[in-house]
Amino acid sequence: MIWHIAKREIYDNLNSLRFALATVLLFGLMLTNAVVHLREHPARMQKYHDASTELLNRLRSRTDLYDLAQLGPEKFHKKPSPLHFCADGGEVFLPDTIYILISRITNDLNTLWYLSYRYQMPNLKNIRPNTIKVDWGFVIGYVLSLIALLFTFDSISGEREQGTLRLTLANSVSRHTVLIGKFLGALVSISVPFTLAVLMNLLVISTSSDVQVGTDAWSRLGIIFFISLLYLCLFLALGLLVSSRVHQSGASLVILLLMWVSFVVFMPSTLASTASGFSSPMTSEEYWERYEQLYAELGDEYNARLQDTRGVPTKRIELRGEYVSKGTERGERLIHEHLAQQHAQIQLARSVTRISPAALIQHLFESFAGTGFEQHQQFVENVQVYAREFREFVTDMDRADPDSRHIIGVREGMSQKPINSEAIPTFEDTLSLSRDFNAAAVDLLLLILFLAVLLSGAYLAFVRVEV
Amino acid sequence: MLMTLIRRELLDNLMTFRFAAAVFITLLLVVAATAVLIKDYERRLVDYNTSVETHQQNVRKRQTYSPAIVRVYVDRPPNPLSLFNVGLDNRLGNEINVSPWHVPSLWDAQMNSSDNSFLNIFSSIDIVFIFEVVLSLLALIFAYDALAGEYEGGTLRLVLTHPVQRGYILLAKYISAMLCLLMPLLMSLLLALILLTTSTSIYLTTDDFLRVGGIILASVAYLSVFYFIGLLISAVTRRTSTALMLSIFVWGFLVLVYPNVVLATTAPQDTSAERGASAFGQIKQIWEEFDRERKHFLATDPVPGEDPMFDIDSPDGWGAGDGFSENRLTLSYYYWSVLYYNGKLTEESLPRVPHAQNYYGFLWRQIIDTADQTWLIRRQTLEDIFVKPALIDRILLKLSPVGMYDAATQAWTGTDLKGLQDFFDAVRQYQRTVIAYLYDREAFKSRLWFASDETVVDWDTLPQFSFERSSIGTNTKRALPDLLLLLTINVVLFTIIFLIFIKSEV
Repeated sequence: MIWHIAKREIYDNLNSLRFALATVLLFGLMLTNAVVHLREHPARMQKYHDASTELLNRLRSRTDLYDLAQLGPEKFHKKPSPLHFCADGGEVFLPDTIYILISRITNDLNTLWYLSYRYQMPNLKNIRPNTIKVDWGFVIGYVLSLIALLFTFDSISGEREQGTLRLTLANSVSRHTVLIGKFLGALVSISVPFTLAVLMNLLVISTSSDVQVGTDAWSRLGIIFFISLLYLCLFLALGLLVSSRVHQSGASLVILLLMWVSFVVFMPSTLASTASGFSSPMTSEEYWERYEQLYAELGDEYNARLQDTRGVPTKRIELRGEYVSKGTERGERLIHEHLAQQHAQIQLARSVTRISPAALIQHLFESFAGTGFEQHQQFVENVQVYAREFREFVTDMDRADPDSRHIIGVREGMSQKPINSEAIPTFEDTLSLSRDFNAAAVDLLLLILFLAVLLSGAYLAFVRVEV
Repeated sequence: MLMTLIRRELLDNLMTFRFAAAVFITLLLVVAATAVLIKDYERRLVDYNTSVETHQQNVRKRQTYSPAIVRVYVDRPPNPLSLFNVGLDNRLGNEINVSPWHVPSLWDAQMNSSDNSFLNIFSSIDIVFIFEVVLSLLALIFAYDALAGEYEGGTLRLVLTHPVQRGYILLAKYISAMLCLLMPLLMSLLLALILLTTSTSIYLTTDDFLRVGGIILASVAYLSVFYFIGLLISAVTRRTSTALMLSIFVWGFLVLVYPNVVLATTAPQDTSAERGASAFGQIKQIWEEFDRERKHFLATDPVPGEDPMFDIDSPDGWGAGDGFSENRLTLSYYYWSVLYYNGKLTEESLPRVPHAQNYYGFLWRQIIDTADQTWLIRRQTLEDIFVKPALIDRILLKLSPVGMYDAATQAWTGTDLKGLQDFFDAVRQYQRTVIAYLYDREAFKSRLWFASDETVVDWDTLPQFSFERSSIGTNTKRALPDLLLLLTINVVLFTIIFLIFIKSEV
């Protein structure tokens, strides 16, 4: 019986204007997305490869252990995601490189390298008009949700207006069967053109030799597609709910459109801006003040104690070693604190925007496509892990030399032997699916929760509706 | 007759649920957005004020010219009207160095903000954007059944049995719908202005209120375009359900899809990199020529050697040097000669003072001339690489009424590209003033360039930078093309609808 109703709905929809328009729109957008990705992605990958190869060569050319310990790996590049077309994730606003910092304690004493998270705003010189990237997040988050509402706004109120609902219910059909039938009918008639558009998009992208989509990426795409369907269901349920509560289909559409505008278009950014006002992280002025104070104090302390060594070289080397490591450690701690506060502010703002399903799906897409803020944090973590590895390598190399005095950070106190450049650990930015799953779990559960609430709401509303 | 019709339509519209819902949502969104935007503006203003203070002090605490003139910075004040349409106001750089060795341009500006820079990943929403999205939707919702509903319900036939001209019916519908659309527009703007006046840091001048009037004008023209689009669809389809569906899709296409798709597909030109590289090469050559002359001057100078420091005491702790700084992206390649002299002169350096004065007098005249020469090339190239594609983008956007509306309101608020360019023109003007001031004082070849043993530089006479936003006349001139375009579309659409409606059978 359910299928009977669903089939009727599907046939109805297939002949309708909205089906034709929705299909054209989805195909057009997905094609644009694929074409733009094919045009831009190879250049992005090329840039990354060139930069990381050059970096690797420079790292490999180092043979002196002291230089290695002091200058470090210079910088780290974020690997562009092959699924960039799924979610752009505001990539322009996130740094794609992490640089290192070497601070000066006194005129002749510098710290070792440590991570610096400062970056130049890339959009600063961009005078093109503002735009939303046409990625899957846009196509699904904005357009597909609108289409879902357009397919369901009159599915119950329209039938009630025409009186066909009474006719249907006069047969021995239970109400939930009708509801489920209508839901499935709308779901199938939207997901068919949507799936075809997605397949066309993937076909265009995967047949091009310039862009490689690996096996890991395919499973991610599967998850993203599944999430899109959940999101579609969410809006279908919303449409059914409002449609059964409101008596005129015109009014039902107005309510739905206004809800759509507020939840999809406005809420993500307005909520984020409001929520970011709740916390005030360290400003850059405060950071620099503390930074300068830190090194001024350390420098004074060092100079004072330098007097005590009375020029004994061994004591001097030890003192230098102590202050180099102190300066590095404290500088790193300060910069970490700054970054952690900034990240926390964004994290909080992002959590608040979760009320909006459009923001939810944006987060989910970003997590699984490996772009955006979530991935940026992962990149930072990868770099931090590598930084530890790199330092351990330096310590180990130094320890292996019996002639060394094991004072890292002072040339005279370290091993003078040339190092095997092949053994230097190299950095590779990676993504892990299980980690992404963990990050996305809350979003996914919330999406399912919203869906459950709306579905049961639609059910209750429809059961109690007067025909 | 017309009045009766208008009254009927007006009452019809006002009593509907859609009107109430739309007013409510618009007010809610505008109030929420304004609160956020005011906070944002206040923070930017505080940043601006501290920055101005710091930059002035950086100059004023120097006793000689040489360490100070490299630290002359200019700040861009936030535009209070950016609340209505933010445009490029909070994206482009807001502090810029105006040292004589480099002609400043938009691409040399830096961003100075105490804000967490990650916050940029959240898009910002301004008041015009809300109108753009919500009110245009509302206009279509008012229009879709205006004619089709009457065709279907048969009421049109009834009305036309009276001696009423068809044009009057159309006009009455149009006027009443626009009145209904004006209500949320004016109410929300009024609320926004009330919120603005409660904030102590935002000060709107009379001209600003006139500019807001211009925004209202553009909004009305924009909404009327959407109402006509809806009316046209309604007249052509004659069925409410079809009209509704088509209207929403047209809206989605014009507001959401078209602007983003067209910007995604217009490729950044491949030739721009080559063009930039060749211009950079030219600029480099000009500076190399300059360097040859500089070396030649030093070689023929009676002081032996090529050391331009002339053994005049040690530079202060800031570090010193001379050389070239380059940045391909902004086509900047310039000579910086910063020997920061702290002003002490020793007995031994006294005989060399005239030579140093002579050298710096020559050097800086040369630097300023060369910078001017390179600016001619830079201006042309930057124009070609950045400005032209951006203008093409804007023209393409204007194929949708959304683009015209956006451009018109940005022109009124002064946050469009031209408004921002005004600021950078003013910065360049200020740089000329500073250079003229330095020439006037003979700063480059004076003893005060490096020595403060006799006198100290009096910075009070240094001209201050001030930037006035373009006059309301200029704003009007810039907004007029788009406004006229919107009005033309209105007239065209009205004529088409009128013709269709006149000839249609009831």
